[in-house]
Amino acid sequence: MPELRTEPLVVNFGPQHPSTHGVFRMRVVLDGERVVDVEMAMGYLHRSMEKLAEERTYTQNIPFTDRMDYLSAMTGNLAYCLAAEKLAGIEVPERAQYLRVIFAELQRIANHGMAIGIFLNDCGAWQTPVMYMLREREKVLDLFEMTCGARLTTNYMRIGGVSFDIPEEFMPQATALVEELPDRIAEYEGLLLENEILQARARDTGILPADLAIASSVSGPVLRSTGVAWDIRKADPYCVYDRMEFDIPVGYQGDNYDRLLVRMEEMRQSVRIIRQALEQLPPGPFKTDIPLALRPPVGEAYARIESPKGELGFYLVSDGSPTPYRFHVRSPSLLNLTPLKEMTVGQTVADLVVTLGSIDINLGEVDR
Amino acid sequence: MTPPGPLAPWYDFRDLSNAVERLLSWLSDIGPDWLVYVVSAVIGGTAIFLFVAATAVANIWVERRVVARIQVRRGPNRAGPWGLLQPIADMTKLMQKEALLPRAGDPVVFLLAPILAFGPALLVWGVFPFGKGMTFVDLNVGVLYIIAVTSVTTIVLFMAGWSSNNKYSLLGAIRVIAMLLSYEVPLVLALLGVVLFAGTMSLSGIVAWQHDMRIWLFLVQPLAFVIYFICATAEINRTPTDIAEAESEIVAGYHTEYSGIQFGLFYAVELVNAMALGAIAATLFFGGWWLFGLDRWIPGWMIFIGKVYLIYFLLIWLRGTLPRLRIDQLMAFAWKFLLPLALVNIMVGALEVLLWVEYDLSAGLVLPVFSVVNLSLAVLLVVGWMRFMAFPFHRLPSRARLVHDIPVVAPGAPAGGAA
Amino acid sequence: MDEPGVVAAFWVLTVTAVGSAVMVAAVRNLLHAVLFLVLSFVGVAGLYITLSADFVAVVQVLIYAGAIAVLMLFAIMLTPRAARDNADGIFWAPALVLAGLMATTIGLIATRTEWAVSDRGPFSQTASAIGEALLDPFVLPFEVASVVLVAAMIGAIVIVREE
Repeated sequence: MPELRTEPLVVNFGPQHPSTHGVFRMRVVLDGERVVDVEMAMGYLHRSMEKLAEERTYTQNIPFTDRMDYLSAMTGNLAYCLAAEKLAGIEVPERAQYLRVIFAELQRIANHGMAIGIFLNDCGAWQTPVMYMLREREKVLDLFEMTCGARLTTNYMRIGGVSFDIPEEFMPQATALVEELPDRIAEYEGLLLENEILQARARDTGILPADLAIASSVSGPVLRSTGVAWDIRKADPYCVYDRMEFDIPVGYQGDNYDRLLVRMEEMRQSVRIIRQALEQLPPGPFKTDIPLALRPPVGEAYARIESPKGELGFYLVSDGSPTPYRFHVRSPSLLNLTPLKEMTVGQTVADLVVTLGSIDINLGEVDR
Repeated sequence: MTPPGPLAPWYDFRDLSNAVERLLSWLSDIGPDWLVYVVSAVIGGTAIFLFVAATAVANIWVERRVVARIQVRRGPNRAGPWGLLQPIADMTKLMQKEALLPRAGDPVVFLLAPILAFGPALLVWGVFPFGKGMTFVDLNVGVLYIIAVTSVTTIVLFMAGWSSNNKYSLLGAIRVIAMLLSYEVPLVLALLGVVLFAGTMSLSGIVAWQHDMRIWLFLVQPLAFVIYFICATAEINRTPTDIAEAESEIVAGYHTEYSGIQFGLFYAVELVNAMALGAIAATLFFGGWWLFGLDRWIPGWMIFIGKVYLIYFLLIWLRGTLPRLRIDQLMAFAWKFLLPLALVNIMVGALEVLLWVEYDLSAGLVLPVFSVVNLSLAVLLVVGWMRFMAFPFHRLPSRARLVHDIPVVAPGAPAGGAA
Repeated sequence: MDEPGVVAAFWVLTVTAVGSAVMVAAVRNLLHAVLFLVLSFVGVAGLYITLSADFVAVVQVLIYAGAIAVLMLFAIMLTPRAARDNADGIFWAPALVLAGLMATTIGLIATRTEWAVSDRGPFSQTASAIGEALLDPFVLPFEVASVVLVAAMIGAIVIVREE
């Protein structure tokens, strides 16, 4: 029988695609429906924030950090402010630390709600889970707006504290949300996790082995889904996380379903943290006074937090001037994409899209 | 039931063919035969075309509102009261958009594909009994005609995908052909079960059988209904089987490159096909225009359209709630799950009909027994085969495990902190 | 059978069927050739209807236009350079001569034979008649045909199976 000559099909999951979570390009080589090779092309959303930040003062750079990971702005703010405080040696009052924890965890709930919804959208459920999860996200965004005036690009944290104190309507509304959320999460788990079609799509696809995850510097829910118990809130605590009682959800084999499980459970643990933080919130100042053009001493500092996407770190180098000498972001979405090829080669095109969705990248962070 | 016959007044709208028959008998008195034939063809064809066009337009609104309600939101409510003018807005928008033609594509085939896609969707409606005596063409092989006409869609969708000169469209076209061909086999076998009991392939004959036996064929052949519903959902490319136009993966599959009214035609075809699925199910399994004698007060065609819309609601419900299956999972489902079930259904059905005819039993005794047997057999087979064939997902953990303490590692310390 | 409607339908269908068959050989693009072939199949199905063979007509559409045409489309899709040069080739002259000879022979046979008109009358239900014929006098050819088809299917799976 003569050799059949076949030609692999090269398809661009191009910058404009309903499911690449932003302008992200994958050059996929297909053999029929099987993926043979994946090559990523990023940089479509590069806004040269790191360079721009070198021209602005430390406080002026805080709005940049909102717009990197635009779906979890609070945690971006938080990581940057921690790095700047470490660099300048500034103490943060306790009330501000508790407020930071509350808002970071609220942001985590909003982000994971969106991530799970969009993951199911990639699986084919036409926006129904997204609409359901957006109800809770709307309530969280209402809380943000009530406090700092913005829903998405919050610009809330300041070096040395937070920018505004919580208004009076915050506590009752936050407490009501915290009471209602566990039931909602249980409802979503019941509706989604036992669905046969979802399990058929998400189990055993996009498997990431634990050693490959550690070797590729993967972090966040993606790392935890492979079975590695690593959470910076517990391993290297910042703010007041060492006073909070919470668990870290860990997955089993690193497939898409485990990532879904980990994110669901993280929402529940965030509710626990918020409840404790709301109870323990002390009175006091919410900000320390710092000069407008802060001149940190010459040196460098790296601060990292557990953002909803993974380990978000800021590396700041100061040369004594009001503007940073180097402003570098260790972006979790960029590094989580490292093993994408190993996760998707050998599976079908449908799995490729679903796996990309489950890593939960944010292009603003990938490209900065 | 006293059917409206020739003595009924012409405005008795329980049977719309009454007025038409009066007109035709008047015409046959005054004109040649071929004039009667042509006039009846024109009236019937126009009526069906208007009905199909009206439902295509109305279903845009129905679908969007119902899907929105399932998604905890309202749906279009700006264009007109309750958004009722939304379909007109949609159609106007689509018509005034530029209908693009890919430069390296095949222009003739590209333009023909949406038009030819509308053909089967329209042709299928010619054989349905909208009421007693209200069938455009009562074919002796009605069921087979429906299957044949819907199988032509395969070629048309391939034409659309191939002539777009676009890899996404090609992927969509390949998927669609594989899926449509695989799901036709269990579909034909499921409908064969219905034909076995009714003894005729003519659709009005099947409705008459259900009317005479006072039973719905759904009760006698529940497994056939389930298999037919799933296969027909796959044939018309609706979620959970809409891999051919999976928006999140291959943008829009075979109709990626279509814009303007060409895309509008594909969209309308999808809606009309969904209604046709409902009409076939309503006629074959739920008695068509007959509803246990209710058609004495409510016109038969209203009952029919009501049943069609109920099944269409079921389709919208599935679309709003279920995620999408992957192509290899769909193929495995058709060949390994549905096909054996359909074969067993036919064997059991044939055995039952044989017993009925051989021993000359009375229908009133035999049919309830058959219904009970078939219903329990359907449940047993589906559950049992699923246990055998499906991967036991429920045995795998469906909650993450919780870890409370991990060692604290300061940055810069040597590695070894991860569990 | 001599009503003007039937005659008109016959001529329209014949022109469709024969004309598309000619176009199959004449167009450049192989995909267009297959689509004209599908049109020819549909024309033949129409001719079956004018002969009151409703079952055969519907099955013709179902099998030929619905399945065999798809097979041909797949074959074209997998062939490189499929969209060109259908009508180019050096054999068009002998093909034309051969086709002309065959057409003349068949035409002479068809017009010169004494076709006996059956006195049976048209069938009212061809489907049941065909079904009974397949299962009573012709059951052995029916079963043999199914065995041949199953063998073809198994052969196809064996060829395509990945090692």
